[in-house]
Amino acid sequence: MHAFDYKSPEVLAEALQQLADSDGSAKPLAGGTDLIDQMRTGRHQPTLVIDIKKVAELNVLECAGDGLHVGAATPCYRICGDDNVQQDYTALADACNIIGGVQIQSRASVGGNLCNSGPAGDSIPAMIALRGICVIAGSAGTREVPVAEFCTGPGQNVLADNELLVEIRFPPRPTASGSHYRRMIPRNEMDIAVVGVGASVTLNEAGTTITDACIGLGAVGPTPLLAARAGECLVGQTVSDATLANAVEAAKEIISPITDMRGTQEYRVHVTGVLVRRVLETAISRATGDPCVVRPGH
Amino acid sequence: MADTKYSWPTREEAQIIGSRRNRLDGMEKSTGAAKYTYDVNLKDQLIARALGSPHAHCTIASIDIKAAEQTPGVVHVEVLRKVGYEIKWQGDLIAVVAAESEAAAAEGVTNVKITYNEMDVFVQDAELELARKAGRTAPAGGKSVTQVEPGDDDDEDEFVEAEIQRLYDASPHKLEGYYGIDAITHCCLEPHGSTVQWKDGKLLAYLSTQNVSGTDEAFATDLDMTSDDVEVRCEYIGGGFGSKFAADYWGVAAARISKETGRPVKFMLSRDQELKNAGNRPSGYLKVRIGADNNGVVQVWDSQHWGTAGVRGGGISQSVIPYVIQPPNYRRKAIGIKTNNGQARAWRAPNHPQACAMTQTAIDDLARVMKKDAFDVFAANLGNVANGKGDVYLAEMKVAAEIIGWKDKYHLHGQGPSKGGVVEGMGLALHMWGGTANSSTCRLVIRSDGSVESSCGTQDLGTGTRTVCAMVLAETFGLDLDDVTVNIGSSKYPMSGASGGSTTVGAVSESHRRAAQDALQILFEKVAGQLSAKPEELVAVNGAIHVAGDKKRMISWKAACSRLGVQSIEVSASHKRGDASPLSNSGVCGVQMAEVAVDTETGVVKIKKFVAVQDQGLVISPKTCESQIYGAVIMGIAAALYEQRISDPATGAFVNAELSDYKLARLGDVGEIIVELYEPESERQRGVIGNGEPPAISPVAAVSNAICNALGVRVPVAPYTPQRVLEALQGRA
Ligand SMILES: Cc1cc2nc3c(=O)[nH]c(=O)nc-3n(C[C@H](O)[C@H](O)[C@H](O)COP(=O)(O)OP(=O)(O)OC[C@H]3O[C@@H](n4cnc5c(N)ncnc54)[C@H](O)[C@@H]3O)c2cc1C
Repeated sequence: MHAFDYKSPEVLAEALQQLADSDGSAKPLAGGTDLIDQMRTGRHQPTLVIDIKKVAELNVLECAGDGLHVGAATPCYRICGDDNVQQDYTALADACNIIGGVQIQSRASVGGNLCNSGPAGDSIPAMIALRGICVIAGSAGTREVPVAEFCTGPGQNVLADNELLVEIRFPPRPTASGSHYRRMIPRNEMDIAVVGVGASVTLNEAGTTITDACIGLGAVGPTPLLAARAGECLVGQTVSDATLANAVEAAKEIISPITDMRGTQEYRVHVTGVLVRRVLETAISRATGDPCVVRPGH
Repeated sequence: MADTKYSWPTREEAQIIGSRRNRLDGMEKSTGAAKYTYDVNLKDQLIARALGSPHAHCTIASIDIKAAEQTPGVVHVEVLRKVGYEIKWQGDLIAVVAAESEAAAAEGVTNVKITYNEMDVFVQDAELELARKAGRTAPAGGKSVTQVEPGDDDDEDEFVEAEIQRLYDASPHKLEGYYGIDAITHCCLEPHGSTVQWKDGKLLAYLSTQNVSGTDEAFATDLDMTSDDVEVRCEYIGGGFGSKFAADYWGVAAARISKETGRPVKFMLSRDQELKNAGNRPSGYLKVRIGADNNGVVQVWDSQHWGTAGVRGGGISQSVIPYVIQPPNYRRKAIGIKTNNGQARAWRAPNHPQACAMTQTAIDDLARVMKKDAFDVFAANLGNVANGKGDVYLAEMKVAAEIIGWKDKYHLHGQGPSKGGVVEGMGLALHMWGGTANSSTCRLVIRSDGSVESSCGTQDLGTGTRTVCAMVLAETFGLDLDDVTVNIGSSKYPMSGASGGSTTVGAVSESHRRAAQDALQILFEKVAGQLSAKPEELVAVNGAIHVAGDKKRMISWKAACSRLGVQSIEVSASHKRGDASPLSNSGVCGVQMAEVAVDTETGVVKIKKFVAVQDQGLVISPKTCESQIYGAVIMGIAAALYEQRISDPATGAFVNAELSDYKLARLGDVGEIIVELYEPESERQRGVIGNGEPPAISPVAAVSNAICNALGVRVPVAPYTPQRVLEALQGRA
């Protein structure tokens, strides 16, 4: 690994200033579970590493009237251990619970997962499904971008060199809503998703009709995707196999997975279909108040 | 025979042998205190990094190391290959850069400028026709055996052809099958490498090796010194599996750099270099037709298989096809394919795991087509097992079946219920191995303060060798493990064979028991008079020496040793590989059963339960013996489900040569593993036999058979990845 400077500001303004001063040669470090490895292999060679873990705004985890606020550097173990997240933003808890193992989860953040902008980042489809909004700060002020529009290519996103992701905000959850994230990996743990699917579903009071749905897909295109039509086609429909089958087909239409050593295009398309159906089934069960659905299938 | 005085205590007499002792270095290992070669750092050392070829097949057109030498921090650049040299696989090392820091060495490597003339590549080892067209095949032997022998006038080939065909046609049950297993690498978690120090005409090499006693010579020859001036040390090793017997050209290069610079040099291969260069297990793909009688007893086997051991061709030896179950009539033929992959090295039971995976799957398929219980079909064939130990296999099969609940859970292939698309199945496989004791010498000292210290140039591959040595000594002297000091892991100790072929436990048990019995005899002679007994009447138990059957006529171990005064007892005892001995033996069986659950929608296979029943003669240390089997099963499950060398057909590049993509099993992937040591008196009396390799043989076949039992269709080629499972289900495999 090359030699570099290290700073650990405790105030957001200071972090932004250091970033602005460095003219693109600095990299923020949250958990470092992506960055350090990328520096070791030479993919990133920042001259300054700005450790943002001590900045208070980046470490919030709050559920208030306006929804859930997750600081960009808040580690996964806090997120998946949080009662509110488990109860209402379950897809996010699901994702944080499977990123790496215990050691990784105690450092890794969803901000880092998102800013790393890997197509297979596990938290991203979950955050898309929960309609997360990125709050971004830079020298010119603050702006907001939906998670679904944050990533622009493999390893690329909307952030300018002088900008930091401060937090991801999620709208409040309606009653009778449920969500789930699941990925397909060849192993049982510690693996890169071949396909990842997050979904959120809201039902009418009777629990029979879908009133809102949002689906995020991972590892099946150059960026994580919002499967907009797949979500829309569920709205107003009664819960049935045929309804879910429509969403499955709509989701498959927008994906463009590659063939690589982790799976062929055909296989990924097939598994996307399987996972969309399974994830929707679980999200729907959760929306009906059944929190823990043990659905067979790996 | 002089050897008759050596023996093991009976099960009833034994105090330590056969008892569940923790391994001596368990605490060091689990707390990270144990120093592996990778942990050895010497004062003022240089760190070396190497440049590997980016191309799989090329010649070197030019080499320019000026910029590398001028890189800040770089102290020395050692060029390993000359201009014109033909590189035959991606990653072959070309130059080594030694520098003050790892970063400087890495930067130096990027500054080594090489140009190449690229050549054609071939890496499609599963594709026999493509290999033929590319001119990459060569016959790799074969054999035919028929019960009816050709007459004097018969052309042998024609006769065999006709006879095999006749037997096949006459068989009431026929099967044609295709089975394969991709190449995997050794993937030692501690890569190959060393930290070496050349000083005052002597070389000290901390080498990650399975062979401390046999690697000094390679350093000595290259550096023009005698092996007496070389010491190879290896206290702990993070995996070798058959790939770490030699100093290797990179180890020798580190020594040269140390001599040249006068500084210690640490040179460990990077992960991708480890996977590309430091050993792999040959692939094998087999087409077979078999004919069986109405009981499922195979009468005729006719197979051809191919595969690669790398650039020199080769593949799986035809001598182990068909595996364990050897029908009365068979014809086997092997073809080797030369590919642009690194050369294979011995991998835990060379040839056997692949042979098992390619042939016992066919036996299971026979059960499938006959709609019979696989247990019964395997059992029916035990009259034709290659080692003649059908009774042992049957006994072990029954034990395994009982543990896994075969009778209650088994269903015919593809007949189990589907729960949400998940189906379960069970499969079994049999294996065999030698495990003879290697040559070994033990030097033993008993001092007047009662201390006991042994030295032996063997090594502990993580298998518990140190613990076994201590258990044998403590048992013999009636002491506890803490009372003896075991020294191993240096070429300065008396020679002991390389740890390969499951030969170590036999080797060290032989040499240590012999030395201990010899030394005890001398001590008995010293104290017999005081106890008014003959030396042969004495026994050593519970920290004392007493007259057998009369505990009152006793002297404590310490008191006995104090009589030695300044004259310690010093003995040296040896065993020579191949010599008959009452202490060790060779030839083991083994039965394994797997229970899996397969998701038919995603193709993901999960191991639910895995049972390994293993014989290995007399078990010195049950806990380390079991550990060995757990490790073997985990390794085998990885090969069954995940491990695979993936080469790009266009470039020959080894595309998954990193741990993120070269997948090993994690603990969450292996299910419940149950190990049963099969040690009835008939086995125990045979003496010690190695078990390092045998339990690594069956897992792939057992898992394949369980998957087939679940699905009702065969996934032909290991690893059984989700995609391959789905392809098989769709009839596209
Ligand atoms: C063993 C292992 C297992 C893993 N398993 C998984 C897995 O199962 N699933 C998965 O998705 N990932 C996995 N990862 C990858 C990684 O852990 C995750 O992507 C993690 O969420 C990254 O978070 P971090 O806080 O460590 O990010 P960092 O490494 O600190 O940062 C990642 C990138 O984002 C930038 N960045 C970080 N925070 C900000 C910010 N606030 N504003 C702007 N830029 C920022 C950094 O500069 C860097 O470029 C694994 C990694 C390892 C080493």
